[in-house]
Amino acid sequence: MATRRRAKPRRAVIIGGVRTPFLKAFTQYLHLDTIDLGAAAVRALLEKYPVPRAELDSIVWGGVILPGAAPNVGREIALDLKLPFSVEARTVTRACASGLQAITDAVAAIERGDSDVIIAGGSDSTSNAELKLPQEVVRTAGPVLMGGKAGPMDYLGVLAQLAPFTALIPKIPKIAERTTGEVMGEAAERMAARNHITREAQDEFAVRSHHRAAAAIASGRFDDEVISVRTPKGDAVHADGLVRAETSVEKISRLRPVFAKDGTLTAANSSPLTDGAAAVLLMEESKAKALGFTPKAAFRSWSYVGVDPADQLLMGPAIAMPKALERAGLELGGVDLVDMHEAFAAQVLSILAMLRSDAFARERLGRDKAVGEIDPERLNVHGGSVAIGHPFGATGARMVTTMANELVLGDKQHALLGICAAGGLGAAAVLERVG
Amino acid sequence: MSDLLVELSAKPWFRQTVKNLGLPLPTPQALRRAKGPAEALPLEGRTVTAGRAPGARLTDHLARAVAAAGATPTVVGTELPAPWQAAAEAWGRPVTLVAPEAEAAPADALVFDATGLAGADELRRLYDFFHPRLGGLARNGRVVVLGRPAAERDPASAAAMAGLEGFVRSLAKEIGRKGATAHVVFVEEGAEARIEALLRFLLSPRAAFLTGQPWHLSAAVDAPEGNDWVQPLAGQTVLITGAARGIGAATVGLLAAEGAHVICVDRPGDEALLGKVARDVAGTALSVDVTDPNAGAAIVAHLKAHHGGRLDAVIHNAGITRDKTLARMKPEWWDQAVAVNLGGVVAINDALLADGLADGGRIVCLSSVAGIAGNVGQTNYAASKAGIAGYVRALAPAVADRNIAVNAVAPGFIETRLTAAIPAVTREVGRRLSALGQGGLPRDVGDLLTYLVTPQATGLTGQVIRACGGMFIGA
Repeated sequence: MATRRRAKPRRAVIIGGVRTPFLKAFTQYLHLDTIDLGAAAVRALLEKYPVPRAELDSIVWGGVILPGAAPNVGREIALDLKLPFSVEARTVTRACASGLQAITDAVAAIERGDSDVIIAGGSDSTSNAELKLPQEVVRTAGPVLMGGKAGPMDYLGVLAQLAPFTALIPKIPKIAERTTGEVMGEAAERMAARNHITREAQDEFAVRSHHRAAAAIASGRFDDEVISVRTPKGDAVHADGLVRAETSVEKISRLRPVFAKDGTLTAANSSPLTDGAAAVLLMEESKAKALGFTPKAAFRSWSYVGVDPADQLLMGPAIAMPKALERAGLELGGVDLVDMHEAFAAQVLSILAMLRSDAFARERLGRDKAVGEIDPERLNVHGGSVAIGHPFGATGARMVTTMANELVLGDKQHALLGICAAGGLGAAAVLERVG
Repeated sequence: MSDLLVELSAKPWFRQTVKNLGLPLPTPQALRRAKGPAEALPLEGRTVTAGRAPGARLTDHLARAVAAAGATPTVVGTELPAPWQAAAEAWGRPVTLVAPEAEAAPADALVFDATGLAGADELRRLYDFFHPRLGGLARNGRVVVLGRPAAERDPASAAAMAGLEGFVRSLAKEIGRKGATAHVVFVEEGAEARIEALLRFLLSPRAAFLTGQPWHLSAAVDAPEGNDWVQPLAGQTVLITGAARGIGAATVGLLAAEGAHVICVDRPGDEALLGKVARDVAGTALSVDVTDPNAGAAIVAHLKAHHGGRLDAVIHNAGITRDKTLARMKPEWWDQAVAVNLGGVVAINDALLADGLADGGRIVCLSSVAGIAGNVGQTNYAASKAGIAGYVRALAPAVADRNIAVNAVAPGFIETRLTAAIPAVTREVGRRLSALGQGGLPRDVGDLLTYLVTPQATGLTGQVIRACGGMFIGA
């Protein structure tokens, strides 16, 4: 029997990414929903990296607040942009890790041989969150309205059942855990107390995030990744709207805590409700070469984990990041950059405390020694979600884009990403430079 | 089967009236019981104050047990022992250190590590720790004292360890009015790690009706793989007799809620009731008369036909009373009581131990406080139930090499069909003559039975554990 030469394993590479400016919810993007924002990002991505449309296989999109009438946002983006009908799409959701999820799904699909060229990313528009009719109304009125023949008496019957109509008032959505009812900020507030994270430390972290993001904007570092978006009113949005270059610990220390009376979390050291989108272009390595694109980075590993949401809701990255490192065959010392999603300064600082604890490593990770101390100079070098904002589904793609660029610009080898997410989820990934 | 006095006592106006008028009425505290199956953080939101005598050996495991179960720890001492610092970091539960002379803060549980007591004079450490802190103990609170088995120790230290038992039994009676309970756990050398699971149980509402008990944690019987706090019985098959009603039916629900497939056994004639109990938990109903000489063979045949021939645990809950003073007792009444309560248990175990019960399995039998204490008109019943105690003590070491644990549970006054039939005055006396001043519910016994078949009960074997609310009778 003839021996067959083993084929080189397929590798997915990151060609590049872009994102819309991130804006505070209910401001200029009010009339752009998550599909519009996503389409803006993907259109700009394809302008920047002109892939022959026939080569494009799929869109994998991440989102959290999905439009009820069209939850497959990825497909709607493809249709709105008049991409070939053959560009199929799916939409994934994994809370705040949805954007990273979309990208690692795309990487897996490419490496498995399902596709060669994929656009992956995510978007969210809190401004266009749907107000949900209470389930009681649906259960009562549904059979009559949606169940076929109904006479006037049936409608009267429904009205009678729904009286006194207080149940008809739609509930304002909030970021609360379904199982515990706890709002995410309350969970982060408890984490701050349990890990001895002071208000001062949180404020300092938040200010650093703003200053670093502002410096990146001022220096033009983000010019390559942030696109312009034209709103239906005709205005053009060119820049992030939430970053505050002039903020200081002194200024934000005056803010009142928002989640607990004697709490430490404020509007300034928490990530704001944000609208935005980000998209990344991924290709199989030889396909990239054939099409003439220069790859920036590739995924060396990733890890998704779950913890008890009633315990420390946002600690997931403290488990996921060491796992991703282990899968990559690296120790913390071997990564040049660390990028963590900043849901709250308190959550990032809690995870840093866990990673530097020997006791945590022994009990929770099965390691003899702590994962290690993350040097602030290598962590979130251009700021994070506290300053830039956090459109839930877009954050993962924003982080991948910024880190892929940073590996090239800074001549670095490895970047470690960490994202916490609702439901007690944690996500992490290790990027390595290509070329 | 409701207890009016417990309900009334939940109302502040009633307690106040009884107090103001000096009425000779007890005001028993309504017990807080567990809601739903075992949780990952059973002690979330509870405060645990821990203390230790010099030479304490369990700090490591105590710290981990408390912090990992979600409690907020306070440690009494002058400096924080390293294991508490580590547990605080690993589980994110900051520890408060308080000076021994500090004023007592409110606590849901007081845990004292007395493993280092070397002589009788050191019993004073108990007084020093508990005396100033009992006032802060919450309603439905817990006291746990940790010691070493008295046997094979030097006489002075053996005296101290045995003293713990008397201390806890008395304290249980003093704090019972608050619905609070007290236990002592004697931890053998080599069984230290097993304290974590037992503490989790004793400090939780799952042990609401247990008090004044000595627990002996042995290093015998290997722990099964894994230690899943949630759904500890997932994938296991558990058989329980007398499942159609009362304690049995309540236990079926609890076992199933922890993930077990439950084979519900009761005698022919109760099929309708038994079928409903089994259906409600997607279990299996099996009609067998436990006194039938072929009962064991029938159960083994059923296991082979429907469950791959494997059983993880058996709970011998079926029991009957045939009360009459010995002088008036008919011979068949004697025979029936002894056959159901003891003879059937032995015969079925013989069959299951030969073929069916897996290595690492669990056997739990039902004894009775009446069996321990003796009761007028119950010579037959008491003989059978005291027989159970002797049986489990002898069987446990005989099957330890197969990692099978054997224990008995002795219920006290439980609110069931049987006790509802007792004349009102006698019933009232039965209820109140206990530390907690009330009868238990079937699920209180069920919680203990369920715990004993989980992997978390590893280290408990050959014991008779009372679920009696601190009943004043019996040894």
